Amino acid sequence: MMFGRESLAGVEDLIHRAYLNKLVGEEGLRIVDNIPEEEITDERLAEITGISLNTVRRTLYLLYEHRLAKYKRKRDPDSGWLTYLWKICPENFDKALESETKRLIRKLEERMDYEKSNIFYACSEGCARFVFDEASETDFICPFCQGSLEYMENSKVVDTIEKQVKYLEICL
Amino acid sequence: MSVEEALEYIKLHQQGVLQSDLWKALSIDSRKCSRIVAKLLKDELITREMESVAGIRTYRLYYSPRSNSRRFESLIAINLFEPCAGCIEECTPRHCAKLSEWIFAIAIGNGEGTQLSNSSLAVQ
Repeated sequence: MMFGRESLAGVEDLIHRAYLNKLVGEEGLRIVDNIPEEEITDERLAEITGISLNTVRRTLYLLYEHRLAKYKRKRDPDSGWLTYLWKICPENFDKALESETKRLIRKLEERMDYEKSNIFYACSEGCARFVFDEASETDFICPFCQGSLEYMENSKVVDTIEKQVKYLEICL
Repeated sequence: MSVEEALEYIKLHQQGVLQSDLWKALSIDSRKCSRIVAKLLKDELITREMESVAGIRTYRLYYSPRSNSRRFESLIAINLFEPCAGCIEECTPRHCAKLSEWIFAIAIGNGEGTQLSNSSLAVQ
Protein backbone atom coordinates (compact mmCIF):
# COMPACT_ATOMS: atom_id res chain seq x y z
CA MET A 1 0.00 0.00 0.00
CA MET A 2 1.21 3.52 -0.71
CA PHE A 3 -1.12 5.45 1.58
CA GLY A 4 1.62 7.43 3.27
CA ARG A 5 3.68 8.41 0.24
CA GLU A 6 4.13 12.05 -0.55
CA SER A 7 2.76 13.16 -3.89
CA LEU A 8 4.02 15.42 -6.64
CA ALA A 9 0.50 16.39 -7.69
CA GLY A 10 -0.73 17.79 -4.41
CA VAL A 11 -2.71 14.71 -3.39
CA GLU A 12 -0.97 14.26 -0.08
CA ASP A 13 -3.86 13.55 2.24
CA LEU A 14 -3.66 9.99 3.48
CA ILE A 15 -7.37 9.29 2.99
CA HIS A 16 -7.39 10.86 -0.48
CA ARG A 17 -4.46 8.68 -1.50
CA ALA A 18 -6.12 5.59 -0.05
CA TYR A 19 -9.25 6.45 -2.05
CA LEU A 20 -7.23 6.88 -5.25
CA ASN A 21 -5.49 3.60 -4.57
CA LYS A 22 -8.89 1.93 -4.28
CA LEU A 23 -10.19 3.53 -7.50
CA VAL A 24 -7.21 3.25 -9.82
CA GLY A 25 -4.75 0.95 -8.06
CA GLU A 26 -1.05 1.46 -7.40
CA GLU A 27 -0.21 1.98 -11.06
CA GLY A 28 -2.96 4.60 -11.30
CA LEU A 29 -1.63 6.30 -8.20
CA ARG A 30 1.78 6.48 -9.85
CA ILE A 31 0.13 8.17 -12.84
CA VAL A 32 -1.61 10.69 -10.54
CA ASP A 33 1.69 11.39 -8.79
CA ASN A 34 3.16 12.42 -12.12
CA ILE A 35 0.40 14.82 -13.11
CA PRO A 36 1.81 18.30 -12.54
CA GLU A 37 -0.27 21.23 -11.32
CA GLU A 38 -0.38 22.59 -14.85
CA GLU A 39 -2.01 20.52 -17.61
CA ILE A 40 -0.45 17.49 -19.23
CA THR A 41 -1.34 15.23 -22.16
CA ASP A 42 -1.99 11.53 -21.79
CA GLU A 43 0.88 10.77 -24.19
CA ARG A 44 3.33 12.77 -22.07
CA LEU A 45 2.12 10.98 -18.92
CA ALA A 46 2.68 7.61 -20.58
CA GLU A 47 6.16 8.76 -21.57
CA ILE A 48 7.11 9.97 -18.08
CA THR A 49 5.75 6.97 -16.22
CA GLY A 50 6.55 4.24 -18.74
CA ILE A 51 2.97 3.00 -18.29
CA SER A 52 1.04 2.05 -21.42
CA LEU A 53 -1.07 4.77 -23.04
CA ASN A 54 -4.16 2.57 -22.69
CA THR A 55 -3.70 2.29 -18.92
CA VAL A 56 -3.03 6.02 -18.62
CA ARG A 57 -6.22 6.80 -20.55
CA ARG A 58 -8.27 4.28 -18.57
CA THR A 59 -7.01 5.81 -15.31
CA LEU A 60 -7.74 9.37 -16.45
CA TYR A 61 -11.28 8.49 -17.56
CA LEU A 62 -11.94 6.71 -14.26
CA LEU A 63 -10.80 9.81 -12.40
CA TYR A 64 -12.91 11.96 -14.71
CA GLU A 65 -16.01 9.81 -13.98
CA HIS A 66 -15.50 10.52 -10.28
CA ARG A 67 -14.89 14.26 -10.99
CA LEU A 68 -11.34 13.91 -9.69
CA ALA A 69 -9.76 14.93 -12.99
CA LYS A 70 -10.78 17.25 -15.79
CA TYR A 71 -9.59 17.87 -19.32
CA LYS A 72 -9.47 20.63 -21.87
CA ARG A 73 -9.49 19.95 -25.61
CA LYS A 74 -7.12 21.81 -27.84
CA ARG A 75 -7.05 21.53 -31.63
CA ASP A 76 -3.71 21.57 -33.39
CA PRO A 77 -4.08 24.32 -36.05
CA ASP A 78 -1.85 22.46 -38.53
CA SER A 79 -2.98 18.85 -38.27
CA GLY A 80 -6.51 19.51 -36.97
CA TRP A 81 -5.93 16.80 -34.35
CA LEU A 82 -7.46 17.19 -30.92
CA THR A 83 -5.16 17.11 -27.89
CA TYR A 84 -6.54 16.43 -24.42
CA LEU A 85 -4.88 18.35 -21.60
CA TRP A 86 -5.50 16.80 -18.20
CA LYS A 87 -5.50 18.17 -14.67
CA ILE A 88 -6.28 16.69 -11.26
CA CYS A 89 -9.11 18.33 -9.24
CA PRO A 90 -8.00 18.06 -5.60
CA GLU A 91 -10.85 20.40 -4.62
CA ASN A 92 -13.39 17.68 -5.48
CA PHE A 93 -11.97 14.93 -3.27
CA ASP A 94 -13.99 15.73 -0.16
CA LYS A 95 -17.22 15.90 -2.17
CA ALA A 96 -16.46 12.53 -3.76
CA LEU A 97 -15.71 11.00 -0.37
CA GLU A 98 -18.94 12.44 0.98
CA SER A 99 -20.88 10.66 -1.78
CA GLU A 100 -18.99 7.42 -1.12
CA THR A 101 -19.79 7.72 2.60
CA LYS A 102 -23.51 8.26 1.95
CA ARG A 103 -23.58 5.34 -0.47
CA LEU A 104 -21.79 3.05 1.98
CA ILE A 105 -24.19 4.01 4.80
CA ARG A 106 -27.17 3.06 2.58
CA LYS A 107 -25.60 -0.32 1.80
CA LEU A 108 -24.65 -1.04 5.40
CA GLU A 109 -28.19 -0.21 6.50
CA GLU A 110 -29.62 -2.63 3.93
CA ARG A 111 -27.17 -5.27 5.14
CA MET A 112 -28.07 -4.56 8.77
CA ASP A 113 -31.79 -5.12 8.04
CA TYR A 114 -30.90 -8.45 6.43
CA GLU A 115 -28.72 -9.50 9.36
CA LYS A 116 -31.41 -8.51 11.86
CA SER A 117 -34.29 -10.20 10.07
CA ASN A 118 -32.66 -13.58 9.48
CA ILE A 119 -31.34 -16.50 11.48
CA PHE A 120 -28.07 -17.90 10.19
CA TYR A 121 -26.52 -21.32 10.11
CA ALA A 122 -22.86 -21.84 9.22
CA CYS A 123 -21.04 -24.90 8.01
CA SER A 124 -18.91 -26.36 10.80
CA GLU A 125 -16.09 -26.72 8.26
CA GLY A 126 -16.34 -23.03 7.34
CA CYS A 127 -17.69 -23.49 3.77
CA ALA A 128 -20.55 -21.00 3.90
CA ARG A 129 -23.32 -19.35 5.86
CA PHE A 130 -27.01 -19.99 5.14
CA VAL A 131 -30.29 -18.44 6.23
CA PHE A 132 -32.70 -20.70 8.14
CA ASP A 133 -34.85 -21.62 5.10
CA GLU A 134 -31.81 -22.64 3.05
CA ALA A 135 -30.37 -24.65 5.94
CA SER A 136 -33.63 -26.49 6.63
CA GLU A 137 -34.01 -27.37 2.92
CA THR A 138 -30.75 -29.31 3.12
CA ASP A 139 -31.61 -30.82 6.54
CA PHE A 140 -28.87 -28.70 8.07
CA ILE A 141 -26.21 -30.48 6.03
CA CYS A 142 -23.69 -28.38 4.12
CA PRO A 143 -24.31 -28.85 0.36
CA PHE A 144 -20.60 -28.31 -0.31
CA CYS A 145 -18.87 -30.67 2.16
CA GLN A 146 -21.74 -32.59 3.82
CA GLY A 147 -20.64 -31.21 7.19
CA SER A 148 -23.24 -30.11 9.71
CA LEU A 149 -24.74 -26.64 9.75
CA GLU A 150 -24.65 -25.01 13.18
CA TYR A 151 -26.58 -22.02 14.48
CA MET A 152 -24.48 -18.88 14.04
CA GLU A 153 -24.87 -15.98 16.42
CA ASN A 154 -24.62 -12.76 14.38
CA SER A 155 -25.13 -10.11 17.04
CA LYS A 156 -21.44 -9.12 16.83
CA VAL A 157 -21.85 -8.60 13.10
CA VAL A 158 -24.93 -6.42 13.69
CA ASP A 159 -23.05 -4.45 16.39
CA THR A 160 -20.12 -3.91 14.03
CA ILE A 161 -22.38 -2.61 11.25
CA GLU A 162 -24.24 -0.33 13.66
CA LYS A 163 -20.99 1.14 14.99
CA GLN A 164 -19.59 1.58 11.50
CA VAL A 165 -22.73 3.43 10.37
CA LYS A 166 -22.43 5.75 13.38
CA TYR A 167 -18.77 6.46 12.66
CA LEU A 168 -19.60 7.15 9.01
CA GLU A 169 -22.46 9.50 9.92
CA ILE A 170 -20.01 11.56 11.97
CA CYS A 171 -17.99 12.14 8.74
CA LEU A 172 -20.93 13.96 7.13
CA MET B 1 -24.59 6.27 26.86
CA SER B 2 -21.94 6.20 24.19
CA VAL B 3 -19.39 8.68 22.95
CA GLU B 4 -21.35 8.88 19.69
CA GLU B 5 -24.56 9.87 21.44
CA ALA B 6 -22.77 12.60 23.40
CA LEU B 7 -21.22 13.87 20.18
CA GLU B 8 -24.63 13.91 18.49
CA TYR B 9 -26.03 15.97 21.36
CA ILE B 10 -23.18 18.49 21.18
CA LYS B 11 -23.50 18.61 17.39
CA LEU B 12 -27.18 19.58 17.68
CA HIS B 13 -26.33 22.67 19.75
CA GLN B 14 -24.60 25.20 17.56
CA GLN B 15 -24.23 27.63 20.48
CA GLY B 16 -22.30 24.98 22.40
CA VAL B 17 -23.29 22.92 25.43
CA LEU B 18 -22.14 23.46 29.01
CA GLN B 19 -20.42 20.34 30.30
CA SER B 20 -22.39 20.79 33.54
CA ASP B 21 -25.60 20.55 31.49
CA LEU B 22 -24.40 17.74 29.25
CA TRP B 23 -24.25 15.03 31.88
CA LYS B 24 -27.68 15.97 33.19
CA ALA B 25 -29.15 15.96 29.69
CA LEU B 26 -27.63 12.56 28.95
CA SER B 27 -28.60 11.10 32.34
CA ILE B 28 -25.06 10.07 33.20
CA ASP B 29 -22.87 11.05 36.12
CA SER B 30 -20.33 13.84 35.83
CA ARG B 31 -17.33 11.46 36.04
CA LYS B 32 -18.52 9.43 33.07
CA CYS B 33 -19.25 12.66 31.22
CA SER B 34 -15.67 13.86 31.86
CA ARG B 35 -14.30 10.64 30.39
CA ILE B 36 -16.49 10.98 27.29
CA VAL B 37 -15.50 14.64 26.85
CA ALA B 38 -11.80 13.73 27.22
CA LYS B 39 -12.18 11.12 24.48
CA LEU B 40 -13.96 13.58 22.14
CA LEU B 41 -11.28 16.23 22.76
CA LYS B 42 -8.54 13.69 22.11
CA ASP B 43 -10.19 12.72 18.82
CA GLU B 44 -10.48 16.44 17.94
CA LEU B 45 -14.23 16.09 17.48
CA ILE B 46 -15.04 18.91 19.89
CA THR B 47 -13.40 22.04 21.27
CA ARG B 48 -14.07 23.71 24.63
CA GLU B 49 -13.97 27.12 26.26
CA MET B 50 -13.87 27.76 29.97
CA GLU B 51 -17.02 29.40 31.35
CA SER B 52 -18.28 30.25 34.84
CA VAL B 53 -21.91 29.65 35.72
CA ALA B 54 -23.09 30.93 39.12
CA GLY B 55 -19.49 31.00 40.27
CA ILE B 56 -18.84 27.41 39.23
CA ARG B 57 -16.21 26.77 36.61
CA THR B 58 -17.24 24.56 33.72
CA TYR B 59 -16.64 24.28 29.99
CA ARG B 60 -18.73 25.13 26.97
CA LEU B 61 -18.31 22.35 24.41
CA TYR B 62 -18.53 22.91 20.67
CA TYR B 63 -18.76 20.41 17.86
CA SER B 64 -15.73 20.64 15.63
CA PRO B 65 -15.91 18.92 12.24
CA ARG B 66 -12.79 16.89 11.67
CA SER B 67 -9.99 18.48 9.75
CA ASN B 68 -9.93 17.29 6.15
CA SER B 69 -7.07 14.92 6.73
CA ARG B 70 -9.07 12.94 9.31
CA ARG B 71 -12.66 13.61 8.31
CA PHE B 72 -13.21 10.48 6.28
CA GLU B 73 -10.96 8.13 8.19
CA SER B 74 -13.93 5.88 8.98
CA LEU B 75 -13.84 4.79 5.33
CA ILE B 76 -10.67 2.90 6.25
CA ALA B 77 -11.06 0.19 8.84
CA ILE B 78 -8.29 -2.16 9.90
CA ASN B 79 -6.21 -0.79 7.03
CA LEU B 80 -8.79 -1.69 4.37
CA PHE B 81 -10.54 1.02 2.37
CA GLU B 82 -14.27 0.43 2.20
CA PRO B 83 -15.08 -2.04 -0.56
CA CYS B 84 -17.83 -0.17 -2.43
CA ALA B 85 -15.67 2.69 -3.73
CA GLY B 86 -15.02 2.12 -7.42
CA CYS B 87 -16.87 -1.21 -7.37
CA ILE B 88 -18.53 -2.01 -10.69
CA GLU B 89 -20.01 -5.37 -9.75
CA GLU B 90 -23.74 -5.89 -9.39
CA CYS B 91 -24.69 -4.38 -6.04
CA THR B 92 -26.20 -6.86 -3.58
CA PRO B 93 -25.37 -5.59 -0.07
CA ARG B 94 -27.10 -8.63 1.49
CA HIS B 95 -24.76 -11.13 -0.14
CA CYS B 96 -21.81 -9.10 -1.41
CA ALA B 97 -18.65 -11.05 -0.59
CA LYS B 98 -16.45 -7.95 -0.53
CA LEU B 99 -18.76 -6.12 1.84
CA SER B 100 -19.00 -9.24 4.04
CA GLU B 101 -15.24 -9.54 4.12
CA TRP B 102 -14.89 -5.91 5.22
CA ILE B 103 -17.56 -6.18 7.93
CA PHE B 104 -16.23 -9.49 9.29
CA ALA B 105 -12.65 -8.22 9.20
CA ILE B 106 -13.68 -5.23 11.33
CA ALA B 107 -15.59 -7.47 13.75
CA ILE B 108 -12.67 -9.89 14.01
CA GLY B 109 -10.16 -7.02 14.12
CA ASN B 110 -12.03 -5.60 17.09
CA GLY B 111 -11.52 -8.93 18.80
CA GLU B 112 -15.22 -9.49 18.92
CA GLY B 113 -15.94 -11.07 15.58
CA THR B 114 -17.58 -14.33 14.82
CA GLN B 115 -14.98 -16.78 13.62
CA LEU B 116 -15.55 -17.41 9.94
CA SER B 117 -13.17 -18.74 7.38
CA ASN B 118 -12.39 -16.85 4.17
CA SER B 119 -14.36 -19.37 2.14
CA SER B 120 -17.53 -18.80 4.13
CA LEU B 121 -17.13 -15.04 3.67
CA ALA B 122 -16.83 -15.51 -0.05
CA VAL B 123 -20.12 -17.36 -0.33
CA GLN B 124 -22.33 -15.32 1.98
